Order: sequence, then structure tokens, then C-alpha cells
Amino acid sequence: MIEVVDLVKHYRASDGSVVRAVDGVSFAVAPGEMVGLLGANGAGKTTTLRVLATLLKPTSGTARVAGCDVRTEPLGVRRQLGYVSATTGVPDRLSAREIMRSYGRLHGLDEKPLAGRIDQLVSALGLADFADRPAGRLSSGQRQRVSLARALVHDPPALVLDEPTNALDVVGARDLLRLLDVLRGDGRAILLSTHRLHEIEHRCDRFVIIDGGRVAAQGTPAEVLGPHACLEEAFFAALGQGAAS
Amino acid sequence: MTTAQVSATAEPSPRLPPCGSWLAVAGFQMRRLLSRQRLLLAALGVVFPAAVMLAVRRTAADGLDRDLAVTMLYALVPEAVCMLGLLVTMCPAVADELERGTWVHVSVRPGGRRALLLGTYLTAVIWTGAVAILAILLALLVARVPQPLPLFGMLSALVVVSCLGRAALFALPAVILPKRALVASVAVALVVEYLAGFIPAVINQATVSLRLRSLLVEWMRWRQQLPVEMQLLVDPQPAVVQLGAVAVLTIAMLAVAVAILEYRQFPPSDEI
Repeated sequence: MIEVVDLVKHYRASDGSVVRAVDGVSFAVAPGEMVGLLGANGAGKTTTLRVLATLLKPTSGTARVAGCDVRTEPLGVRRQLGYVSATTGVPDRLSAREIMRSYGRLHGLDEKPLAGRIDQLVSALGLADFADRPAGRLSSGQRQRVSLARALVHDPPALVLDEPTNALDVVGARDLLRLLDVLRGDGRAILLSTHRLHEIEHRCDRFVIIDGGRVAAQGTPAEVLGPHACLEEAFFAALGQGAAS
Repeated sequence: MTTAQVSATAEPSPRLPPCGSWLAVAGFQMRRLLSRQRLLLAALGVVFPAAVMLAVRRTAADGLDRDLAVTMLYALVPEAVCMLGLLVTMCPAVADELERGTWVHVSVRPGGRRALLLGTYLTAVIWTGAVAILAILLALLVARVPQPLPLFGMLSALVVVSCLGRAALFALPAVILPKRALVASVAVALVVEYLAGFIPAVINQATVSLRLRSLLVEWMRWRQQLPVEMQLLVDPQPAVVQLGAVAVLTIAMLAVAVAILEYRQFPPSDEI
């Protein structure tokens, strides 16, 4: 469903130097699979996700979503992908229903089926208590749920989430991750980046650890953990920084 | 919660035409404009020309000359009010989305970037046009100009032309230099509209200000009265040519702005 092969993305910095944000990353996410993309700040996680979301163009390599290449078929990718970021970008003055309606119309969805879809998401994602309240009066957790609903309004088979639990408390993060479990069970391919390793240690089907724009380790939890007691230890080992203190 | 609840029904949804997404963005942007500060700014835009007209009328012992009143209203509304209104509404088209963190969410939708620009364009034209037309109405009432109705119609038409053309002009700095769009747009307004627009050469043919002045002269039947040196500052072609030129300029500038925006890439660090 999501396929990244030898992906390279270079930026030109303001001083003229070339920044190699992503440097030959390869991985895949199958339908019904949740993959955790892990890495320190600046490792290239967000850049990788943004290339997948067609927000950035790859320097070389390929990235595909549901068979559509991000370079040659960006519209196809956008129809198949839901994107959630740490900064929800949920407009304060609009309610969850209005936000879903606006974004549903950006997908060209007609009014009547869109209204049905919104009702479905309000019920499925537990938004009923605050669906008509301006988003500016919602908690961080509620805003992130609205953001997830917005990403799902066109029913995409693939979901990309960039540090979605960053601004959430423990309860908000747990609720969001439970929703992701449901979406995975629904057959969606989910690619999730996060710093909070303990949250996803027992949730993801596979992990991809990137460091300096390159894949440092990847595989099933058993493969990545190896002899290490927990994901955090395995993460630091993959980064060549020894065990977590 | 069940999995079946999250998935949509198997039936594919009927699709709206592309302008449906532009209207969705326009509605969304219009809601943003309904804040207290923006409404206050709009009220100032409505009242300011009337206040100027009132002050001038009070100094004129025999009442306000009709031609002078029209010239003043033209400078105040289709020029000043429209320029300022469009600067405020059109320039932040991309910068606002980057700052609010909504850019990524709009951009990952099919046609999202185009809808963002054209929806914001529609909003800028409707909002500024409405403010400017109310400003003309109030100013004409205050100025007590004879036969105000035809003047209202003509100045309103000039407002519409000004908004359509200049919002498209400001779309270019909005997409090329989103973080400096306001400064760049002021520079564009001064250099293109008010410097190049007054140079009697080929270069002024591509400005909205030349077309607006020419329409004003044509519709007020001032052409014969104009001194020769002033005639150099207007285009002798009929109104339909001026309107056609603005339409061509508008479409060309919007097409370029959309094309640039489709290819723009903003690194994550730009979204602060």
C-alpha cells in the first residue's frame, strides 16, 4: 500500500550548502499494518512523510501510495492518503462538522453523501459530544481527534501520521492510538512517526528506525528488539549510542 | 466503535465540479474574516471616503462640483479602499496557512492548492468589493452629488474591475514570496500600478490602473475635455477593450500564480 524505495530528498540551505534530509530510505507498509517510523529530531522522519504526502518532491528514488507514484501521480496519491500532523491546524472558529465538510468538499464529495460520511465519523471517532462546538474550545486530544476525522473524511486506505500524540496527555494519546488500532483492523495501512517509543512498542507490526536520513534498523518488533529489553534500548543501539540511561 | 463504522459505504460518492472546492475555501475564508478586528477594519473602509467627502463638501461654499466629486471618489474607493482591502485579504493567502499549520492539510487534498488560491481570491474580491460598494453608497449620500444613481453604478463597476484585476495581481507575490507578501505587494502596487501605469508607453498596457482610468474617462465622457498631455495617460480604445484587457490580465496572472503554487515546496521549518 505504501512503498518507499531508495528515497532521497536534499534541500538547499540558505547558506547554499546541500542538506541531505533523507538519503536512500526504503520500507513498505502493507494493508492492515501499522508501521512505526522512529528517529531523533532531524533524522528525516517528517521529510519522508511529507514526500509521501506529495508536499515535497523527492530528489531521487520512488515513493508510492496505493500504486500511485508521488512524482507522476500526485493527485492519485492525495485521493488515497490521509495525513495527520502534530500541529493539528484545526481552525478555531469552525466546528468539527464544519471542518469535515470543508475538507470533504476539497475532495469533491457531494453534499448528501458527505453529510452521511460526517455522521459516520462523528459516531465512530467519538466526536458526538463536541462535534458542533468551535474547535477553539476543544482540548488538545479532542482537536487531534477532529484532525484524524478530517484525514478520514474521504475514506483513504492509507494513513500517515506525523507525531500525532505530541501535544496529547496520556489519556488523549491512549485514545488516539486505540482509534488507530481500529483503523488498522479496518485494513488501512498506517505509517506513524513518534518520539514516544513506549506508546507504540506493543502496537506496531514493524518499526523503521532512521538516523541521519538513512535506515538504521527495520523489521518486526522481535527483529528490531533483538537482545534488548525494550524498544528504547533497541532504538539507542540502532543509533549507535549504547543503552538508554 | 466498530471497524464498519469508520469505513465509508461501498458506493462511491458523486463528485462536485472543481469550483465546488473553490467555494468551500471561499466559505471557510469568509468565516475567518468575520472577526471583530476585520469587521472594524471593513467599517473604517466604508466610513473613510464618506468622511473625506463630508469634509470637502463643508469647505465648498456652492456645494461639491460633480466632476470633482467623481474624481475624488474614484481615487478614494476603486483605488485606495480596494488596494488596501485587497492587500489585507489577498496577500496572506499562503502565509496564513503556513502560520496556522493548515497548509499541509489543504495541500494533501486533490486540487487543494488551486482551491486555496482561487477560493481566497473569490473571498478577497467579494469582501473588498462589498466594502468598497458600501463606501461609494455612503460617500455619495454624504456628498449630495446631483444624479447619484448613474454614478453609483459606474463607480461600482470600476470597483468590481479593480478588485478582479488587482486581487489577481496580488496573488503573485502571495505565492512567490508568501512570508513577505505584504511588502512585495505594496512594492508591486507602487512600481507596477502607479509608476509603470502612468508611463505613456507599451508597459502601461499591462496595468489595471490604465484600464480603470480609461474606463472612468470613457464612462464620464471626459475624453474631449482632457488636455492633450492628460490624454496620454488613458487608452483611447472603447470600454469593451478595457474590460477585455482586464479579463485577460486577470486570467493570465491567476494561471501563473496557480502554476507556481502547484510546484512550491515548503520545508517543515517554513511552517512557523
